Amino acid sequence: MNSRHALLMVAATCTVALLAAALAAPERLSQGDPGMAYAGPLKLPPFGADNRGRPLLGYLLQGASVVALPAIGAGLLVSFLGALGGLLRCVANPGMEALLHGLRELVGALPRMVVILVVALVLPLDWRGLGSLALVWALLAAPGAMDEAAEVAGRLGGARFVEALKAHGFSHLRIYLVHVLALNLRPVVVRQGAETAMQVVFLEVGLSYLALAENQPSFTHPDTSRSWADLLYLGYPSVILDIPTGHALVLGLLLIAGIALMATTLTAAARAR
Amino acid sequence: MVAWLIWAIPGDPASIICPPEVCAGTTGLAERWNLDRGPIHFYLTWVSQALNGDLGNSWRVQQGVPVVSLMKLALPNTLSLILLASLPLMLGAVVAALGRIPRKLEQVLQLGGALPAVVLALVAAAVVQLHFGADMYSSQACTIRLLAGALVLGIADGALSSAVTGSRTLFQRERGQRYVQVARLRGENVLSNTLPNVAGAWAGQLRARILHLMSGAVIVEAVLRIDGLGDLLWRATLLQDFGIVLAAATFFALMSALLLLLQALVEVFVAWHSRRAPSLVSRQSTTRVAA
Repeated sequence: MNSRHALLMVAATCTVALLAAALAAPERLSQGDPGMAYAGPLKLPPFGADNRGRPLLGYLLQGASVVALPAIGAGLLVSFLGALGGLLRCVANPGMEALLHGLRELVGALPRMVVILVVALVLPLDWRGLGSLALVWALLAAPGAMDEAAEVAGRLGGARFVEALKAHGFSHLRIYLVHVLALNLRPVVVRQGAETAMQVVFLEVGLSYLALAENQPSFTHPDTSRSWADLLYLGYPSVILDIPTGHALVLGLLLIAGIALMATTLTAAARAR
Repeated sequence: MVAWLIWAIPGDPASIICPPEVCAGTTGLAERWNLDRGPIHFYLTWVSQALNGDLGNSWRVQQGVPVVSLMKLALPNTLSLILLASLPLMLGAVVAALGRIPRKLEQVLQLGGALPAVVLALVAAAVVQLHFGADMYSSQACTIRLLAGALVLGIADGALSSAVTGSRTLFQRERGQRYVQVARLRGENVLSNTLPNVAGAWAGQLRARILHLMSGAVIVEAVLRIDGLGDLLWRATLLQDFGIVLAAATFFALMSALLLLLQALVEVFVAWHSRRAPSLVSRQSTTRVAA
């Protein structure tokens, strides 16, 4: 097994673990045992308990169910649109390229978090959730991905590259899917998708943490479920005060590190040969 | 965009901006905010009032207080935060452009950049709180929070590492061009040859990085309790204070437009410099020959 395969295995393991955790998430947290309040991982395996004796495993699973599908969906959407941008360059349509460039300039001029907050404000209450915010985030990230993929295709030779391969007798499908997309656009498209998925998770954690700090409901998930931000919020006082919730903070940070690891390894596995 | 969004979503605009379960008197709200006569009327009225310095009053964050006075308090903090955070970015970009940043340091920066802003801001908030305790809101603590916020903003979410990597890649690619090799053989300065050709793209990259800082400022200000525009926008969004959200979003858009204008100025200057360049080169050559 070479290093590329090892990296791919790590990324796949992280993704499968995230999806499995999301599928196994309970609808509500268990009642908890007050006698187990603040229990550490050794007393209540595998992750310990919160201030009411509820296992932190429930937080982990529910948090995964909040982020898994929106993050992966946003990543796939950006990858798809990025690939489309690269392929369009190979078709050599100047009008479409100008449109894409203009779109990128327009969307790139908007601070993303400001747009997300405006959208969160104007969306009807029933529509609010990480799914819609992740879609907006992906649409904001897509023009950049399309532009970068188009630049890579342009460096490759664009339409001339396709013509040259056609002269060698390759079919259209093989040229676009294998030669352009799989062999040349792959690193960019995978990196952009992985980064977007990671950013969506970080967005959820950030927005949920801030809502918790203000004692307000989060835009990203219903009040009945918990996010990974709850782990950070629960564990943060242990840094300042003498409250034994450090294990919650460590778990929250490890989950964030896991997401960063997933994105980094996927990007590294897809790098150009 | 905000006006378009409100009317694009199905439902009554006043109820969308502030749902009846949150705000009472939706009909009165629609009349007061010109929401009852379509998006164009709403937009034009808001813009004309804004140009006269009237952004309305806060609905819920600080009820009845003019939004302009809230903005006046918040804007200097946000500008200082973004300015302070952009200094290391600019420095890193310049050093990277000169090719003076070792690859290993770049890897360390990339590792640090993988940290999300919320986590780094929490670390910074904990450090400040541990150091100042109950004195958290003293003027000294406020300055420290601002500096810590700038540091977090400059590092988190790949801000510094992207600026460094982007600048290095841009200049490295240009240095590999044939005309630069020729210029080097002629004993000319490499930077003075490459800079005019990459200045536009470089300015675009740096503009994107500063926009990234503006986006991150929302989280950093809210976590570190910095009374800035981002924190105000966040609280207004949470409390459905449409008046503040609209004004804050407009200010962010104006800052973005200003950055775009700066980039355009750089490009115009480069074009003007390039036109003058042949005469400059011939004058320099004449001076050299005379010497």
